[in-house]
Amino acid sequence: MTRAELLADDPLWLILIKAVVLLLIGPLMTMFMVIFERKVVAWMQHRPGPNRVGPWGLLQSIADAIKLPFKEQIIPTTADRKVYFLAPIVSVIPSFLAFSVIPFGPQVSIFGEQTVLQLVDLPVGALVILACSSLGVYGIVLAGWASGSAYPLLGGLRSAAQVISYEIAMGLSIVGVILYSHSLSTGDIVDAQRDGWYFYLLIPSFVIYLISMVGETNRAPFDLPEAESELVGGFHTEYSSMKFAMFFLAEYTNMVIVSMFATTLFLGGYMAPWPISLIGDNYLNTGWWPVLWFMGKTMLLLFVFVWLRGTLPRMRYDQFMRLGWKVLVPVSLVWIVVIAGIRAFRNEPNISTSQILVFGGVALLVLIAVAMLIPDKRARAEDEYLVPVTGGGHPVPPLDLEVPKPPKRRSLSEAKVARKPAAVPAGQSTSDTPDKESE
Amino acid sequence: MVSTLWSNAVALAQQPPSPVQPIQPPSGPSELGSYLPIVILFVLAAAFAIFSVLLGPMVGPQRKNRAKTEAYECGIEPSPQPVIGGGRVPVAYYLTAMLFILFDIEMVFLYPFAVSADALGLFGLVEIFLFIATVGFAYAYVWRRGGLDWN
Amino acid sequence: MLATVLTAQPVPPADKLSAPAIDYGAIMPVLIVLGAACVGVLVEAFLPKHQRWPVQVVLSLATLAGAGIAMAVYLGDESTPKNGVITLAGTLAVDRPALFLWGTLLVLTLGALLLIADRSVEPGGAFVAEAAIRPGTIQDRAQVAGTGMQTEVFPLTLFALGGMMVFTSANDLLTMFIALEVLSLPLYLMCGLARRRRLLSQEAAVKYFLLGAFASAFFLYGLALLYGYAGSVKLADISNAAAGTDRSDALLFGGLGLLVVGLLFKASVGPFHTWTPDVYQGAPTPITAFMAACTKVAAFGGMLRVLQVGFESTSWEWRGVLWGVAIVSMVIGAVLGLTQTDVKRMIAYSSIAHAGFLLIGSIALTDQGLSGTLFYLLTYGFTTLAAFGVISLVRNADGEATHLSQWAGLAKRSPVTAAVFTFILLALAGIPLTSGFVGKFVIFSAALQDGMAPLVVIALIASAVAAFFYLRVIVLMYFSEPAADGPSVTVPGAFTTASITLGVIATLVLGVLPAFALDWAGSGTFAFQ
Repeated sequence: MTRAELLADDPLWLILIKAVVLLLIGPLMTMFMVIFERKVVAWMQHRPGPNRVGPWGLLQSIADAIKLPFKEQIIPTTADRKVYFLAPIVSVIPSFLAFSVIPFGPQVSIFGEQTVLQLVDLPVGALVILACSSLGVYGIVLAGWASGSAYPLLGGLRSAAQVISYEIAMGLSIVGVILYSHSLSTGDIVDAQRDGWYFYLLIPSFVIYLISMVGETNRAPFDLPEAESELVGGFHTEYSSMKFAMFFLAEYTNMVIVSMFATTLFLGGYMAPWPISLIGDNYLNTGWWPVLWFMGKTMLLLFVFVWLRGTLPRMRYDQFMRLGWKVLVPVSLVWIVVIAGIRAFRNEPNISTSQILVFGGVALLVLIAVAMLIPDKRARAEDEYLVPVTGGGHPVPPLDLEVPKPPKRRSLSEAKVARKPAAVPAGQSTSDTPDKESE
Repeated sequence: MVSTLWSNAVALAQQPPSPVQPIQPPSGPSELGSYLPIVILFVLAAAFAIFSVLLGPMVGPQRKNRAKTEAYECGIEPSPQPVIGGGRVPVAYYLTAMLFILFDIEMVFLYPFAVSADALGLFGLVEIFLFIATVGFAYAYVWRRGGLDWN
Repeated sequence: MLATVLTAQPVPPADKLSAPAIDYGAIMPVLIVLGAACVGVLVEAFLPKHQRWPVQVVLSLATLAGAGIAMAVYLGDESTPKNGVITLAGTLAVDRPALFLWGTLLVLTLGALLLIADRSVEPGGAFVAEAAIRPGTIQDRAQVAGTGMQTEVFPLTLFALGGMMVFTSANDLLTMFIALEVLSLPLYLMCGLARRRRLLSQEAAVKYFLLGAFASAFFLYGLALLYGYAGSVKLADISNAAAGTDRSDALLFGGLGLLVVGLLFKASVGPFHTWTPDVYQGAPTPITAFMAACTKVAAFGGMLRVLQVGFESTSWEWRGVLWGVAIVSMVIGAVLGLTQTDVKRMIAYSSIAHAGFLLIGSIALTDQGLSGTLFYLLTYGFTTLAAFGVISLVRNADGEATHLSQWAGLAKRSPVTAAVFTFILLALAGIPLTSGFVGKFVIFSAALQDGMAPLVVIALIASAVAAFFYLRVIVLMYFSEPAADGPSVTVPGAFTTASITLGVIATLVLGVLPAFALDWAGSGTFAFQ
């Protein structure tokens, strides 16, 4: 029986058990990730990290989780209350939903029922995950907008711009995988990797996915929406108590999701890694064992997240957007054309390998020639109508403006009246003072 | 139980098409049935989220004062909010949104091609190359004219 | 069971799809136009600013010439089938009416393109240098002094032209819808690019866009209902389905109604005309000329095909409604045209009245009706092109002087301009020895043959009423004293002169010697497959 058939035969109680387990993965992984991240970053920085609650501070997350509901909930008076209430919910639900199509393992028996460790295996599974990650953006934008405050708004807009920019690169990097697996179903993608995992067959796709998954989840070094030094807390500045916890939960769950998705797409999913797969006629690739490999690979990617945060400085907004739009997107597109071309030519019976090489060489030469033709720098003469302005359309002085030297002070007796304006209390209109003086 | 629902659905799908309705939609009701677990998970997740959000005000303290409920701006007087009630956001964000739509649609078109690329062969390759090139023209234009420069 | 649906089976190599046969010779004009539009985008991207205008003008003119030559080669080829070919997997029907419309569109676009490219009448051209700058800001005042223009107009024009060509030859509704979008979106944009009166221009663009989006939605919804009815979006399949079944007609006529509303909007037929005066007035005049001439050709070309190929068998059901629409359009155009005080708005209402006449030809489902409508489109396109060309010449310090009072006594300032405009107005009114007369004659005689005598009577009355407001302008130009601070008439450069000359000569020739064009218009009917 295929995966889909097995899953279609699941009785309701089994579906409910799976759903509840999936629902628990999010919060549990979040709690684990918090302490894991804090400990690892601390070690990287030669400090002990949290060490008060429980042995080595391991219970710190649990203490945090218990603390949050008992905090006071503050809603700013400027907030749009309905949307403000809705935003954390909108943000957290899609991140849970994305778990539904992740294949955690192969066929197992649960209470005598044969099934697969996956909630559903949809023919459009990969799209479900992408859709869920896009829907999460709504929560962020709505939160920023509904708070009625400047910093959250900027954080929300930045975040939305960032997530959608990197979603393009992420989506394009998946196309390579689909080309090789002929299916959007996550289960089929894992099965298709029996002969070789895609992370080395499709290295460019994998690298692009890794970069964009960090951008997509707003994590360091791409954590601009939450840039503490610029925007306080980003879109959730005005959130407190459990509403804040929901955003926190969604963010960490999203990290787990993109890591699991990367495992599924590129790291062979639940399949045992190479030396282990040799043991006992691949025995360790059956039953419940694969869950271990799957979680191990996921943890490896989650560690990469923490590692990046511990080592890299935050990028500037323009650098970050440039990386997404001017590097990742074109590289993805060219890579897609290349692998689609290779596959199409290889499957064509009338074309020999040498012909492919010749054509490939010619194409490469043309590409290089075109690249040479493009001048590096844009001519500045383009902006002949550009007048420097701030956002409101008002002129500002040039940045290299020379400040004129102040005129020499007149003696006090000469300029008794001239000193008067300085004595005007703050807040009072000063526009009429010169008139008074002239009288 | 669900299994009876399945069998009903499957039986429904296997019925011969009625003569009154000559055009049979390609997807039967059985295909929608496989989304049921997602719906269940959605209901559970929504219940969890709403419960959590409602839990805060129930168990937490309520000691409000005016300063607390003001918008947070590092202690200075909050600036008046232009956005709620028909304000404007910088036009650069709209540009990003439009670019996103352009490329998202390109992406969505690439998926079905990728699934059946081998069946389409060289014909499919040429078509998809033309498609990517067409979007590439627009991309080159946006790039060269500064649409991808942020500051 | 479920699995067969759920799991994506890899297709064995035996099932490989083969490419559909493409008659490259037949669709070469469209390929040239759309390909050149893409090249135009690249020119915009990679050339420095000062080189763009000359390159774009040469590229666009060469494109039109190339497309025309490709079409001539295809027509001159002995092996070209007389009754048309259906190519690109049944999406495009290249038959005689389609080729006639393509030729019309290419020539009219040439005229409009000359107006667009002109930089003598308005220094720097009729288009703004940087459309993204907000009107009224200091950057806006800074750019008024400059002589640059958004040369994106050229590729946008070519895209619109490509869309129009596909629209007139689309053999199924889905292709038609995509062509509709391809032709509409550049037009919405170009309407907002005027150099003078920028707020008015942008308002026109937004109005056109919003109403156009509504109309597209109507079209799409009608398409969906028709697909539900016939199980196919091909016009021939819909026709066959309508002829031979006892299915519910609600879907068919609901779909047809919505579809036709979308088409009537594009053709600015009353009562779906509300956008026309505002957009004609606000858009840059060369774009108004392009819209008035070419969009009308494309919209009626599409409508002719839809009605004659897809719905001929059910004509007695819907024809009465279109009778009413034609009457409403003619009455609105003629009566409201009387009250206008702006020349561009007046021509806009005139175009609504003409759309009514064209609709009469379109619902006469005979060969004479088809050829008459095609001929009328050709003549009307040339005349309206020349009209807007002349309007762009009469200017004062604020740009074009379009208020009628400013045209008083124009004959004393510039006799040639007044004479040319008089001739154009007479052609629009349908006076003998102009193409307008021949066009009305062939359409009305086709309508009479198809038993629509009452409609013809109403049309004649409407023509008479409309003639009054054309004559009013002539009287104003010749028998009024010019105002002291009245507008001056610019001496046009080569491009505008060429464009106006093209329009006027075609109007004259088609009025005096219409036989060759009538022969060509009647040389074949729509391919049905």
